Amino acid sequence: MSGVISGGWEFVWAAYAISFTVLAAYGIRLAIAVRRAEKEGDER
Amino acid sequence: MDTHLPAYSPKAVKRAWLALAGALGLLAIGTTNGLFVAPPEHYMGDVYRILYIHVPTAWNAMLALTFAFFSALAFLWKNDWAWDARLEAFVETGVLLSLLLCVQGSIWAKPTWGVWWDWDPRLTTTAVMLVAFVGILALRHFVDDPRRRAVWSAVATIVAYASVPIVYFSVQWWNSLHQLQSSPKTVDAVMVTPLRINAFGMLLLLLAFSSLRSQLARRRLARELAPPPAAASLALGGEG
Amino acid sequence: MNQVIAALRKELLLGWRGRAQAMAVIVFGSTLLLLLSFAVGPNATALRQLSGGFLWVSLLFASTLSLAESFRQEREQRALEGLLLLGAHPAALFYGKALANWLQLFVVGAALVPVMIVLYDPGLSGIGRLLGVLALGTAALSAPGTLHAGLAAQVRAQQVLLPLLLFPLMVPVLIASVRASSLLLLGDPMGQAASWALLLVACNGIFWPLCGLLFGYVIEE
Repeated sequence: MSGVISGGWEFVWAAYAISFTVLAAYGIRLAIAVRRAEKEGDER
Repeated sequence: MDTHLPAYSPKAVKRAWLALAGALGLLAIGTTNGLFVAPPEHYMGDVYRILYIHVPTAWNAMLALTFAFFSALAFLWKNDWAWDARLEAFVETGVLLSLLLCVQGSIWAKPTWGVWWDWDPRLTTTAVMLVAFVGILALRHFVDDPRRRAVWSAVATIVAYASVPIVYFSVQWWNSLHQLQSSPKTVDAVMVTPLRINAFGMLLLLLAFSSLRSQLARRRLARELAPPPAAASLALGGEG
Repeated sequence: MNQVIAALRKELLLGWRGRAQAMAVIVFGSTLLLLLSFAVGPNATALRQLSGGFLWVSLLFASTLSLAESFRQEREQRALEGLLLLGAHPAALFYGKALANWLQLFVVGAALVPVMIVLYDPGLSGIGRLLGVLALGTAALSAPGTLHAGLAAQVRAQQVLLPLLLFPLMVPVLIASVRASSLLLLGDPMGQAASWALLLVACNGIFWPLCGLLFGYVIEE
């Protein structure tokens, strides 16, 4: 380690953006599946 | 074998949505705090802020896989389908978080150590666990019979989880022999507050996702295990 | 205990009858060693350094063939169900099969050693102790390998599933075996090989009991 790292904000943004995007995508997929399952359950 | 078909619980779904809302709130607060309020670290500058999402992801990835392990044990012991549903949910969530962990770790490594991957023991163990548990998801995908799927993925989960300590130890030892420069893995003076907030936020996220996923798994199990309608009058009650 | 011996005898008999298949596995492993040497190129120093590593990687890949084959007859003749109906204890069946697999893997590994020496030229020192590491490593490979082969044999897409499930578990075994082998072949000034061998013993200590306990679930019903 040579010293203070300056900048590097693009890495920070990348890490947060990727993390939240992936989590949001998974969450939306779950939400859609649950909604569809509930509708099927009501139709029975 | 438990003959009760696994029940779907609208109450659990509602609770999960609440937890999700709580998670989003906490993550918003923690992330804003970590990105804008916390002061830059004297050694790493601003890059260290990745830790405010990386460490909570690490804790919760390990937690998810630990829950999966206990679900596997519980299923083999109690023979209750609900535990198989939970196992499926926790393995999937654990894989998701482990994948994010590897990506975050890689993004963290590039500016700090100059390489995308440096065989850090924790990260390497996570990568190995990722492959192991993706394998378990693949196993579940290729087995159609619900009972076998449940038993076998429980067995595979137990063996995979039991190997975590020894994987970690072997990689750490192997790595320590090759480390040419000692780079500080821990950062000094990390503000604890945004870390804790994000950690709890991710925990709620983990629980919410797992709960929803588990409910979906229960529904599928109920469909797979239900006797066909025409034979309902002849059914002996449940399978087996 | 008698059951274990009986199961082992059955496995060894079957293994001996199917020894042509073991030959094929050895040829496969040798081919891997050859192909890997092409990946490095005619760089004698690099090849020497990598000799231990490539031996174990080739053995690991070849083992999937060997392990899968060990359950083929059971699968085709539904022999395991028959044995269980007769009152055999699943753990005994496991240890019989795992021990036989260990022997076969050790034989394959030992056969690959001369191929490795010829292609990679690490020298002949430490071969005796290398065989010891080979014994420990193949044992640690055999226990979880037998468990997961028993599982994969009953599933479609088994050729993919066995390596996918087994290889992550094999990381510590691979690391320890490669390190110990390389040290024994290339020189071990600080005497570290024994510590890596100890790690292999620990892996065995975890895998053999655990897999024996769980095997019953894999072949039940």
